[in-house]
Amino acid sequence: MWKTILRRFLVMIPQLFVLSLLIFVMAQFMPGDPFTGSITPDTDPARIEELREKAGLNDPWYEQYGRWIGNALQGDFGKSYTYKMEVSKLIGERALNTFWLSFISVILLYIIAIPLGVLAGRYSNSALDKSIILYSFVTYAIPTFVLALIFLYFFGYKLNWFPTGGSVDVQYDPGTFGYAWSKMYHMLLPAITYAILGTTSIIQFLRSEIIDAKAQDYVRTARSKGIPMRKVYTRHIFRNSLLPIAAFLGFTITGLLGGSIFIETIFSFPGMGQLFISSIGSRDYSVITALVMLFGFLTLLGSLLSDIIMSIVDPRIRIE
Amino acid sequence: MMTKKKWAVASSLALSSMLVLAACGDEEETTNEGTDTEENTNEETDEGSTDIGSTLGTDTTNADEAIEGGTLKVALVAQSPFQGIFSWTLYEDGYDADLMEYTTNAIFETDGDFLATDEGIASMSVDEEAKVVTIKIREGVKWSDGEPLKIEDLMLPYEIIGHPDYTGVRYDADFKNIVGAEEYNAGTADTISGITKVDETTMTIALKEVSPAIASIGAGIWGYAEPSHIIKDIPVAELVEHDAVRLNPVTLGPFKINKIVPGESVEYVKNEHYWKGEPKLDGVVVKVVPSSSAAVALQNGEYDMAVGFGATQYDQIESLENIEILAREELAYTYLGFKLGKMDTEAGQVVMDPNAKMADKNLRKAMGYALNIEEVSDVYYYGLRSRANSFIPPVFASFHNADLPGYTYDPEKAMELLDEAGYVDKDGDGIREDKEGNPLEIRLATMSGDDIAEQITQYWLQNWADVGLNVTLTTGRSIEFNAFYDKVQADDPEIDIFMGAWGTGTNPSPMGLYSNDAAFNFSRFATEESQELLVAIDSPEAFDADFRKEKLLAWEELMAEEAPVIPMNNRLEITPVNKRVKNFSIDYTTDLGLEDVQLTAEEPIK
Repeated sequence: MWKTILRRFLVMIPQLFVLSLLIFVMAQFMPGDPFTGSITPDTDPARIEELREKAGLNDPWYEQYGRWIGNALQGDFGKSYTYKMEVSKLIGERALNTFWLSFISVILLYIIAIPLGVLAGRYSNSALDKSIILYSFVTYAIPTFVLALIFLYFFGYKLNWFPTGGSVDVQYDPGTFGYAWSKMYHMLLPAITYAILGTTSIIQFLRSEIIDAKAQDYVRTARSKGIPMRKVYTRHIFRNSLLPIAAFLGFTITGLLGGSIFIETIFSFPGMGQLFISSIGSRDYSVITALVMLFGFLTLLGSLLSDIIMSIVDPRIRIE
Repeated sequence: MMTKKKWAVASSLALSSMLVLAACGDEEETTNEGTDTEENTNEETDEGSTDIGSTLGTDTTNADEAIEGGTLKVALVAQSPFQGIFSWTLYEDGYDADLMEYTTNAIFETDGDFLATDEGIASMSVDEEAKVVTIKIREGVKWSDGEPLKIEDLMLPYEIIGHPDYTGVRYDADFKNIVGAEEYNAGTADTISGITKVDETTMTIALKEVSPAIASIGAGIWGYAEPSHIIKDIPVAELVEHDAVRLNPVTLGPFKINKIVPGESVEYVKNEHYWKGEPKLDGVVVKVVPSSSAAVALQNGEYDMAVGFGATQYDQIESLENIEILAREELAYTYLGFKLGKMDTEAGQVVMDPNAKMADKNLRKAMGYALNIEEVSDVYYYGLRSRANSFIPPVFASFHNADLPGYTYDPEKAMELLDEAGYVDKDGDGIREDKEGNPLEIRLATMSGDDIAEQITQYWLQNWADVGLNVTLTTGRSIEFNAFYDKVQADDPEIDIFMGAWGTGTNPSPMGLYSNDAAFNFSRFATEESQELLVAIDSPEAFDADFRKEKLLAWEELMAEEAPVIPMNNRLEITPVNKRVKNFSIDYTTDLGLEDVQLTAEEPIK
């Protein structure tokens, strides 16, 4: 298996290379550049041209690309034009926020989805099952930003239960309990929003797995041996049905990154998604390319992770 | 304090988030502080509102008994995190400038024309003959860490901006006006030869040319100090990322930064060493709030005021009982420009094209008279915008000329002018042809905003159709901010006319926007007469305010007559303030500083 994993990593290299080429060329097609936004009557156009020249933006794209990839291979993604700091440092700050948000989201996601999926599967075709299916269809159909805006308005502003933006209150010192709690508190509402929106596939998967498993021979055998139904569910059916869900984890992480663009923008949560959107607006090339590369890498990593988990939980599956 | 320059960088950020949120169906998005160049629009009011602008004050009216100390909670309405570069020398983001208002290191105070006075930390005098500016600082001024202000602290910013490693936009033609700046930047000199320390409180700056812009704290003169005892030894290349700039900057203002959550919020505490005396508040907390939620947050009493609150959201706060709305004129105008030539980039000179589609000034004038700007200002902007008559916003107390008639709505006159000029409808389809009888299609470039911006654009097109002109949109729709300026600056042949906005900054000189070598002279209008007047406005003779005013007026009259650019709107910016706030003013010339602000209740009124 280790060999396979290594091979998968090696395949990632050309994939990422093509991605970097694509994003680099497409970024050049965008009208304007990082300095377009600085035009005011107070700025000297000659100075802007000088800065463009200094930044190498007047060179042909392949020269710029060559320079960029050379530096990137050494771990240097350049400096953000807007934030005037190392891209790696800038993304590092934001990535940590996104990471924790995703982590809490995933936990909440499983807390909501697994019991619902199990109940729906166990009592299939009951009123309970039908209402769970209805719930999952509704959450599947509702666009991310709609639910996010509704939640923000209702729980944030109307009921005042949650903070409505940011990642932490300024009065706490890092390292204290208050600081950690404040961070957690700020992440809760976006995480709940995300979790609710992401439950559909897990509920559906789990439900159909359980319905399938109920008809399996081993269940009948267990039942005929006189094992109580409750135990059959926890010991036999649940375990088997959970396999694909575990494998889903990798893809869930990938999905979180896409969702983060909406969630973070609406909840003004300073993570990678929000950074991505604002850097596109300001044509902050170095940040855009670095983020797309990171997203690309994480997506590939997520699918690899799924395969690995699958092979661990289900010995019948071998990744070759 | 008010020499803040505005940067359009922020506007593109704001715009980008706007696109996302607009696409998300969020009903209204607005632009903020620092957004000079985009259209602000909003939903329609049903009643034809009167001029609200004149009913809003600039000062809080709260006269209650103040509490001891307290913390002012400020919402900074922004669509993206602030960048967090807390140095006037290095920042580029309008939000950072808003945050630095509380810690300001400005050394000059200014009057109603934004000219430096002697009231501030420093005062200056100009020797026009010798082309030398002398700057003298007050004694007894201290930094927030207790260190006394030295004359070196005023000299340091020049050494930073001029440094070869400096990568900002401030090393510009103005800065090169300082004797020795170019040699220092090229690395052939260790210091800027024109900048000399005379004694512990005095410095002199030798300039190549003197102009009245010096009094506006321009032409190379820098209006802020940097704490040399802290940052002198930090290499310029590293400065922008250094903690002394990002995390714990030392200040001269009424407050100093206590804590920062990068991109989100800043907590300030009062600066006991403030030279005007200890502030009355204990501190200030500023938090970034997206425009979509600013109004609700104010209603809930979460904040004492909102900075950069979009004027187009006026309807959401107008009836709030706990809020008082303050308003003041923005240093900006929106305009309609006509492409009259091209920029010869080789020679760096504007070349007018006598055969340009818009070359007939009567056509241009007619297009100006055809626009019902008055009605749009009232209906869409609640009267927070008004029709502009001049390129000098009314804020400039003595340079603005209220008597200029400008282009008021007069479709009859527009049609008369068109008939006279020979643009008549020959084939009877209701649309005028050009002088030779060929079809006339005028292509208008506009910037994309929200759906109301689109509605207003359609309204303009209708206005022009009413006088028989066929105006269509370049590319068929409004154009994204970056693309718009790319096209306009490149003299795209698809553009005949365009609508934009300029922030004027605090120097009323139109030189940078309308001279014959200005890249931002987008209409590419340059005549000898106009150039002569522009040069006169910035000439040493113009140190005489009357002379300057006379030349400005002559230039404005010329522009009104030639109409290469027609000013459209002046705008008011509004600041909603909770009713527990006392002694706060947004008047440009106020005597009330942030150190005077008080609160009259423990918590914001709900």
